[in-house]
Amino acid sequence: MLLLPMLLILFYSLIKPGNTIVSFQVTLANYVKFFTDKDFLLILWRSLSIALKTTALCLILGYPIAYFIARSPQKLQSTLIMLITVPMWINMLVRTYAWIGILTKGGLVSTILSWFGFQDVDLMYTQTAVLIGMVYNYLPFMILQINTSLSKMDPSLLEAASDLGASPVQSFLRVTLPLSVPGIVSGITLVFLPAVSAFFIPKLLGGGSWFLIGNVIENQFITVGEWNFGSAISVIMAIIMMLLMSLVRKVDSKGKKEAA
Amino acid sequence: MENAKKKLIQFKNVQKSFGDQIILKGIDLDINENEFVTLLGPSGCGKTTLLRILGGFLEADEGKVLIDGKDISDLPPYKRELNTVFQKYALFPNMNVYDNIAFGLRIKKVSNDIIEQKVMRMLRLIGLEGYEKREITQLSGGQQQRVAIARALVNEPNVLLLDEPLGALDLKLRKEMQYELKRIQQEVGITFIFVTHDQEEALTMSDKIVVMKDGEIQQVGSPAEIYNEPKNAYVANFIGESNIIPGTMVSDRVVRFDDKDFNCVDVGFKPNEEVDVVIRPEDLEIVKPSQGKIKGTVDSVLFKGMHNEVMVETVLGSHVTVNMVIINDSANQKDEGDVHISANDFYLDLEDMKDIQEKDLIARADAQAWNDADEQLSIERVETDLKEELGNYDITFYTQGGLSITKHIRVVDQAVVKNEKKNEAVSAFNFFKTADEIKESVALDTDLKTWANAQAWKLDNEDEGVEVFAEYDFDPENITEGVYPVTFWTKGRELKVHTTKNVEEGAEVGLTFAPEDIHVMEKMGYGS
Repeated sequence: MLLLPMLLILFYSLIKPGNTIVSFQVTLANYVKFFTDKDFLLILWRSLSIALKTTALCLILGYPIAYFIARSPQKLQSTLIMLITVPMWINMLVRTYAWIGILTKGGLVSTILSWFGFQDVDLMYTQTAVLIGMVYNYLPFMILQINTSLSKMDPSLLEAASDLGASPVQSFLRVTLPLSVPGIVSGITLVFLPAVSAFFIPKLLGGGSWFLIGNVIENQFITVGEWNFGSAISVIMAIIMMLLMSLVRKVDSKGKKEAA
Repeated sequence: MENAKKKLIQFKNVQKSFGDQIILKGIDLDINENEFVTLLGPSGCGKTTLLRILGGFLEADEGKVLIDGKDISDLPPYKRELNTVFQKYALFPNMNVYDNIAFGLRIKKVSNDIIEQKVMRMLRLIGLEGYEKREITQLSGGQQQRVAIARALVNEPNVLLLDEPLGALDLKLRKEMQYELKRIQQEVGITFIFVTHDQEEALTMSDKIVVMKDGEIQQVGSPAEIYNEPKNAYVANFIGESNIIPGTMVSDRVVRFDDKDFNCVDVGFKPNEEVDVVIRPEDLEIVKPSQGKIKGTVDSVLFKGMHNEVMVETVLGSHVTVNMVIINDSANQKDEGDVHISANDFYLDLEDMKDIQEKDLIARADAQAWNDADEQLSIERVETDLKEELGNYDITFYTQGGLSITKHIRVVDQAVVKNEKKNEAVSAFNFFKTADEIKESVALDTDLKTWANAQAWKLDNEDEGVEVFAEYDFDPENITEGVYPVTFWTKGRELKVHTTKNVEEGAEVGLTFAPEDIHVMEKMGYGS
């Protein structure tokens, strides 16, 4: 049952427009169309690259925050975790709309910048805006995953490292960091997957100039009505993600074996 | 001998509190080079705290820690020349055996070939050759233990700290590791500071034992000194098993307990000073009653492999007998519609009346209310003309719906049975019950104690309770109206004897001992 919609999409991607479930012709034309169009390939590349940047930023920002939370007193920890999750109580679409007010010309950011002499800064419809929106929305997943693996760590391991002569930095690099690899891996998974197929964040904050693969799929289904082509792109994305995930899982299982 | 050794570690007036809880009350302790020192005490005595202060994981509030005469109080753990074996080993799960042991050497940037030599030598020392590529999770508890020791020792510290390292191992493995640790210590020739609550472990391994209690050092000495010459009853009882009897010192070399004078070898106490008399179970000998210095009855015999552990009751316990009056059920219960209420007459001691409260009266009368659905209802109100004088009073209990039952309170001057020899008193009251209440009781002994308000306490400290037991002759299942005696008693003084002789339970025996087997010590606030 769970696979049925997936199979249907696979089926649609392999037939011609206008065909039905009872009378159809198998074709690879939809796939050929995608891989021969330079614009589509560019959008695919752009999607992957912005998802990578998002993931990297989430990791760089998220790790210190997760580390700080895991090292704070138990009581404060639960408060901080709650603060991290609070934005998730509000619909993602609404949260993203709120960023328009912050980033737009005459909005919060440009007003503050204007005090320092940068006039008329408009971040809307730029890669920066899309990145900010993505990082903002997906950062909590990264923090929570890393925090979980850090707070599971036995604090006596750090005492042991210190006892054996390791300075705090050495302890971190040799003990804490390797032991948090499983958290990092699942954080990356949880950020990269939705980021690569995001469509309304680039639509709202990137406008027409930051069209990503998610927007193309949405367009094919809703605006253009080319379900077969839309399905083909979805299948291509699914395969790319499957490949990436199997790669990540390999790293993860290695990390798990080490952490176990 | 002692003076020839060099002082390696000195604790000077080390104090530590967590919040308002004082953990260490000013510890002064010297530890010499190449000693196997054990910090021994029950959990919460501060032994682990002291070790963690030495390791640098905790900071002392007051005082100094010196190593080789240098104050190390401000050094972080990674700058201290000592290593620790942690309670739960704290091996790095992301590294294999080799990498765990090599950790400290790699931090010190020792070259790889030397690391390999040293790690391999350690693996030989701990008997785990060929295990270097194993993951930590593939090791048993005892093997992890050894790796933790190797990981610490490979750094060639002057001092190895061991925080209850054998606690997680089973008995057989623990014994093995005790010998193993002692062997390793003798082989590498460094100071081991070992924390444990297991006195046997301490006696087996140590050159010096430090007995701690409540953040204070009770005694420092060799195992033999501590075992044979315990400084006080606490140490005597903690190290090995002991019989501790309260007594008084009559004069030098004469101590009195249980109304008899005995010769001993202790001197220097004030005349009539209250003391604790300690006799080890293996120093007591079972003889014929006529030949014994003390007489008693064999209470129990336990076979312990090498010897029998015999409990001999030398002083009888205290007992008091009261009447349990079983009355007609209907007199104790009132009904109205589907609501029921029940209560009993009861006795009160004049002395207990000073701060008696409504809830106490409800409990003593065992007043209860319930409905047909068997739901408990609360007793809403209590009315009584009770006065602080001897006499009979009425007491009425009400439910919320107004259903009431009236019973009587008899205020009496309760006789207390005192037992000076055992330093205790016991008291209990006559009480009234219905046959149904006896039949329905699921824990009759406990209920009888509650109903009779049976209590026993130390004569010299009324707040210190003594356990009371109930004894009766009736058949609870088939009890009828009438008066039944119930006896409440306390255990007598039992002396533990280790003997290879066979004795029967219930036999009358005599106990004898040599004057030098009596250890007289200053009395301290520690129960017998």
